[in-house]
Amino acid sequence: MPIPPRASPLAMAAGPASHGGCPRAQMPHLSKMERVVVSMQDPDQGVKMRSQRLLITVIPHAVTGSDVVEWLIQKYCISEEEALHLGVLLVRHGYLYALREPRSPGLQLDETLYRFQTPYFWTSTLWPAAELDYAIYLAKKNIRKQGALVDHEKEHYDQLHRKINHTWDLVVMQAREQLRAAKQRRKGDRLVIACQEQTYWLVNRPPPGVPSVLEQGPGRGSGMARRVQMTKNTDFYKQEIECCTKALGRIRVKSSVCLEAYLKFSSQHRPHDPIMSGCLPSNPWITDDDTYWAMNAPNVAAPTKLRVERWGFSFRELLADPVGRANFMDFLRKEFSAENLSFWEACEELRHGGQAQIPTLVDSVYQQFLAPGAARWVNIDSQTMERTLEGLRQPHRYVLEDAQLHIYMLMKKDSYPRFLKSDMYKGLLAEAMILPETKRRVFPFMWKPRHSSLSPALPPASASVEPVAAAGGPGGAEGEA
Amino acid sequence: MAREECKALLDALNKATACYHHLVLTIGGSADSQNLREELQKTRQKAQELAVATGAPLTTALRDKGMGAEERAEFERLWVAFSGCLDLLEADMRRALALGTAFPLHAPRRPLVRTGVAGGAAGVAARALSVRNLRHEAERNFDADDLRELEREILQVGKMIHDLEMKVNVPRWTVQARQAAGAELLFSAGASSAGFVSVEERTGPCDPSKALAATVFSAVLLAAVALAVCVAKLS
Repeated sequence: MPIPPRASPLAMAAGPASHGGCPRAQMPHLSKMERVVVSMQDPDQGVKMRSQRLLITVIPHAVTGSDVVEWLIQKYCISEEEALHLGVLLVRHGYLYALREPRSPGLQLDETLYRFQTPYFWTSTLWPAAELDYAIYLAKKNIRKQGALVDHEKEHYDQLHRKINHTWDLVVMQAREQLRAAKQRRKGDRLVIACQEQTYWLVNRPPPGVPSVLEQGPGRGSGMARRVQMTKNTDFYKQEIECCTKALGRIRVKSSVCLEAYLKFSSQHRPHDPIMSGCLPSNPWITDDDTYWAMNAPNVAAPTKLRVERWGFSFRELLADPVGRANFMDFLRKEFSAENLSFWEACEELRHGGQAQIPTLVDSVYQQFLAPGAARWVNIDSQTMERTLEGLRQPHRYVLEDAQLHIYMLMKKDSYPRFLKSDMYKGLLAEAMILPETKRRVFPFMWKPRHSSLSPALPPASASVEPVAAAGGPGGAEGEA
Repeated sequence: MAREECKALLDALNKATACYHHLVLTIGGSADSQNLREELQKTRQKAQELAVATGAPLTTALRDKGMGAEERAEFERLWVAFSGCLDLLEADMRRALALGTAFPLHAPRRPLVRTGVAGGAAGVAARALSVRNLRHEAERNFDADDLRELEREILQVGKMIHDLEMKVNVPRWTVQARQAAGAELLFSAGASSAGFVSVEERTGPCDPSKALAATVFSAVLLAAVALAVCVAKLS
């Protein structure tokens, strides 16, 4: 068990491996606090010490809060606020304790005296407080106070009695012996040691309502100093090589290209976004008028203008919209190439359908679209056709994927631009209506004013029509007058 | 009988462990000194001797197949207390090593933490060793050598624990302690004496220091009054 000399005290290389197995480390903030406390002890440059006067005994080595703060300001050249905060941290972590009221969490700047905690009882993640030790402490307190323990301590006592019942003999024996050993010291020392132990347990088992300083949030374990170093053997290097190869193979896009595409998307979709541009006729969530939803239902007879415009953005948008797809199908029928879209739809069905239907579906697709001389034969290039026919012997969900992609690209490059230029599409655009804004009704007894909801993203000053509405829908009710 | 013997040895080990714990508490504090390190060494060596002495009969007793269930349960209880005690001792020894390394006595720039504990702990060590007085006879660089020896002893104790566990298999969950909750209150012989009054408590009218001061004062006052009366009468 080598103990190399370390800058921070109480950091052992091997760690108490007998309790639990995994080597623990002292948390960095605790090591830092220890260094601060040790530097405070310097006889020349440390904190000024006073004495505590009890009735007959005089106990040395007490400090006031203001001394500590002053020393911190001088040593670290920080502001008073920061020094006070550091002092409070020291008290809360148990490195300093108040002599009168050990439970008070802050650092008082008046004449309250504090004392330093002994290194054995310093807060440590390297030596976590054990249940057995707590049980012994509670038993000792029980003896001293003749059974009058505080509520939460009584609870803990009972819990521990159940949990570590098998070592309860040891608990009682140790408690008695430790008290008898303490009696061999003089009174002042006894008092100090009792206070020290009490402070330690106030930090490690805080009473209800006091937040525990040792609690780390979820996923905070990486704060511990990583002392486990991987030995640089062949496995380690093999892993590294694998990681680097994978990293090389990743597709990298230049950020200028990415950002351009992003800008284009944003500017194109901005008028269509209900949050950025408001929605007509009105936001149903605000005005309880669901015309918007009714008019934008998936299978509506007369699509809105915005919707029809959106079909022009990309082929994917067109196919995603059922009304758009239906119109595209009509167009293809006029061009006598409707089988492409039907084939594509059949492939989609295969992809997303049930496992049990796959063989029958594949079969019907083959018969209808792929067999030579089929009724609706699709025009796939020979290589893809060969591969597909090979795969059809063992049909699975994705067996028609190549063919589907080919037909998709065909439609996208060929039929889709023609559709956009066609009279049909232009006619649809012209027919499609823009829904009017719901008119504001001025009847005084209307409980819910129906007005269009302008975009909440717009600043209030730019709202010309409805200055009240621009402040947000709900607020409009008040300004209705 | 073997059981009484084991119990007595276990009590002695318990006492030594408690005293050692009490001594380790003050390492690195203002009471840390050469004497303390010497006391620590003597106490832990005594504790180790006792551990070896207790372990042997307990092991033989528990390995004895032909023992009654009642007696076996008793020995298992003793065993659990014994191994718990050994664990406490080992943990305290490790802490002592860490603290002793962190707060060497003769380093120029590493002052001890001023904790307010000032007195010596010779009484505690004497209690552990069951002697009347303790003599301190260490040389100057005692603590550096002592740390090396402490390391070795920790390894020894660890090995002893491991061997004992290998030899005897006592499942902890089957052992039921004899003491009930609150058993420590029954035999607390005067432990609640005024010695443990913490700073914020007032023990009421029977505070002995206050009573002593009051009696002394009143005696002095009476004497002064008597003298004054005498002087007045004489003059």
